[in-house]
Amino acid sequence: MELNTIKDAFDRVVKKQKLSSSKSQDMIERVSQEIEQALSRMQSVVGTTSQPDHKVVLAEVKTKLKEMSPLSQLDNPQKELSVALNKYPKILEKSFNPDISKAYRNVDFDVHTVNQILASHFYREGLFDIGDCFIEEAQEPEYADKKSPFLELFRILEAMKSGELEPALEWAATNREKLDQSGSNIEIQLRRLQFIDILQKKGRDEALKYCRKYMTPCAHLCMPDIQKLMACLLWAGRLESSPYYDLFAPHHAEKLAEELAQQYCKLLGESYESPLSTTIAAGVQGLPTLLKLMNVMTGRKQEWQNMKHLPVPVDLDKELQFHSIFVCPVSRDQASEENPPMLLSCGHVLCKQSITKLSKNNSTRPFKCPYCPTEVEVAHCRQLHF
Amino acid sequence: MEIDALPNGNSPAATTTPLPATTPAGAVPVSRAGQLSESLKLEHQFLRVPFEHYKKTIRANHRVVEKEMSSVISGVSQAADGDLSRDDAVSQLNSLVSRLQGLKRKLEEGNLAEHLQEHRCRARIDHLESVDLENVAEWNNMRVKRILVDYMLRMSYYETATKLAQNSNIEDLVDIEVFQEAKKVIDALRNKEVAPALAWCAENKSRLKRSKSKFEFQLRLQEFIELVRDGNNMRAITYTRKYLAPWGATHLKELQRVFATLAFRSNTECLQYKALFEPKQWDFLMDQFKQEFCRIYGMTLEPLLNIYLQAGLSALKTPFCYEDDCPKEDPLSQEGFRKLASPLPFSKQHHSKLVCYITKEIMDTENPPLVLPNGYVYSTKALEEMASKNNGSITCPRTGEVCDYSQVVKAFIS
Repeated sequence: MELNTIKDAFDRVVKKQKLSSSKSQDMIERVSQEIEQALSRMQSVVGTTSQPDHKVVLAEVKTKLKEMSPLSQLDNPQKELSVALNKYPKILEKSFNPDISKAYRNVDFDVHTVNQILASHFYREGLFDIGDCFIEEAQEPEYADKKSPFLELFRILEAMKSGELEPALEWAATNREKLDQSGSNIEIQLRRLQFIDILQKKGRDEALKYCRKYMTPCAHLCMPDIQKLMACLLWAGRLESSPYYDLFAPHHAEKLAEELAQQYCKLLGESYESPLSTTIAAGVQGLPTLLKLMNVMTGRKQEWQNMKHLPVPVDLDKELQFHSIFVCPVSRDQASEENPPMLLSCGHVLCKQSITKLSKNNSTRPFKCPYCPTEVEVAHCRQLHF
Repeated sequence: MEIDALPNGNSPAATTTPLPATTPAGAVPVSRAGQLSESLKLEHQFLRVPFEHYKKTIRANHRVVEKEMSSVISGVSQAADGDLSRDDAVSQLNSLVSRLQGLKRKLEEGNLAEHLQEHRCRARIDHLESVDLENVAEWNNMRVKRILVDYMLRMSYYETATKLAQNSNIEDLVDIEVFQEAKKVIDALRNKEVAPALAWCAENKSRLKRSKSKFEFQLRLQEFIELVRDGNNMRAITYTRKYLAPWGATHLKELQRVFATLAFRSNTECLQYKALFEPKQWDFLMDQFKQEFCRIYGMTLEPLLNIYLQAGLSALKTPFCYEDDCPKEDPLSQEGFRKLASPLPFSKQHHSKLVCYITKEIMDTENPPLVLPNGYVYSTKALEEMASKNNGSITCPRTGEVCDYSQVVKAFIS
């Protein structure tokens, strides 16, 4: 995005403002000088015979100020400033979408629902103080129930950050079965990290003992890990230059912490990313399209308010794609339960209704695939499940 | 990756970590950059609000200078034209000099405020400029926080707003200071006082007039109603003459309606007039004020959060979101989000977008969809990995059926 014009326009505002402000200062200075001079003349003439009347002095200063006309002198820089001040917002309006609420539907969000979403967002981001402050200010104390599971998670993560793996291991051991089910070997990874830590801090003997105690019993799960760790023993003292550096490099610990957080959320039945952030990200990506749509739909606001489907596709990043959507290339309809996607024998996929149409509703009559020269029979089409 | 690279101890079972997703090279960064610049265009309010604040301060400072200067000059004229004794003249001029000194001080203070706001405007431009494809994740994170602070301020949760801004170090990027001005008025309206709101109207007279706002009129009507409620009929009438009559030309109907409350009193059962005495009227005034306030500062009338949530929910909403197996990663798997999305339209796609049930990765030409004999479709990556781990056998995770990797066929999605 081109910000230079905006910057230039703003620089101009600032320049004119400085000019106008220094002019004001200048004028104040000069007017006070005139008055002070008059004062000193009025006071210095005390006692002298050729004293000009104080009235003369006053009249003089009055004329002088009139000649100086400080107010009209302020006018000019002020006018220039005004021009710059009025121009800048216009440039902003041109460079940006001036009203992003144009595509807003007049439906009120339920405040409590929004507040509940916000409270859990704060807690899951580890912003516990802010979450507490929020539910108090919003007077929604019941939303504090999201707090404790995440308190636990952040306690584990904090400990991990300072090299303390015990809380993480404890959690992994408690949830060993569930973690196993979801195919996570996080416990072994944690053990591995702890082994290296012991090896570095306490030496080979302790490390070996640790391995015998905690890792050998589950050797069936982590034989290759044990092999590698044993090899590490050879490099004790100069692990940094070993081929196993990756096992304990700082980024490895960070990645492990991330994986732990992911697993933790999964066991809680929550997504890893905050759903609020996800939705806002989708909003940021979708809003430009909707605003463009509104430009075309001017004057049809009512129609927009009642639409059941967006009239245009909104492209989202693949991270925001959570469902398989099949659009039939022939009919352009979205597949549904009544109109499922079907695999033709040639490998192309159409939806059921399109196949019915192509075969002219005759299940024994072969038809040509619209995408290749193959002749296909309805009976050989298979329903797909994405 | 880190494990696979090692020379020993490798067996297929060790490769539990899925391969990092390879993004198709070329086109992607371009569209990402386009998307980024489109998203920056949504930030009008972000630059506009601090600028309006800056402009307001500049104007106010200038008005002070003009006013003081002209009264000093007319003070000199008066001294010259009047028949003052010398001592009186001296003291008159002295007072003018000290007045000018006071003005100088005020101007310096004003300049300081202007300077701070100038800095804030610049910080915002710089912030927009600072984003690139590398730091966009962090930048987006900050945007979420900015949007949340905006919401807190509009809902009058000032403490949360301040804490969140301080905690995230984004004080220059949010409009807490601007909202302090609103807070005074809103707090007063909550206590059924109109004076600060009227003062605010006077301060922003020209802007309100330009947008043909009748907020001041509504405040005056409320004051009138309160006088009637207290039985101060005579005062109510003088009040009307003074403050309401000027609005007669443009808002006669409303004026007449409200004026009729003199006849009905506050205990009336007549619905039309009873409504005017309801405490709800004050909530209405508060909402009106918020709207006027947002308009003057160039803010959207709705909180940014609501705007982004609406757009986001519409973009995410598909019929599949409401099925039982909706993945947790989809915000619409949650009750709260579903509730918010219910009055919103479904999204629409012109092209198929297929997500692998196992890896959650997009199935496209890079990672084409494969069909098992039972009709279930998974990505090539997922099935290859499964086959390599289980000697070529594939177990459908949804039906439990087992088949051989050689039995899967490719599906062509156009």
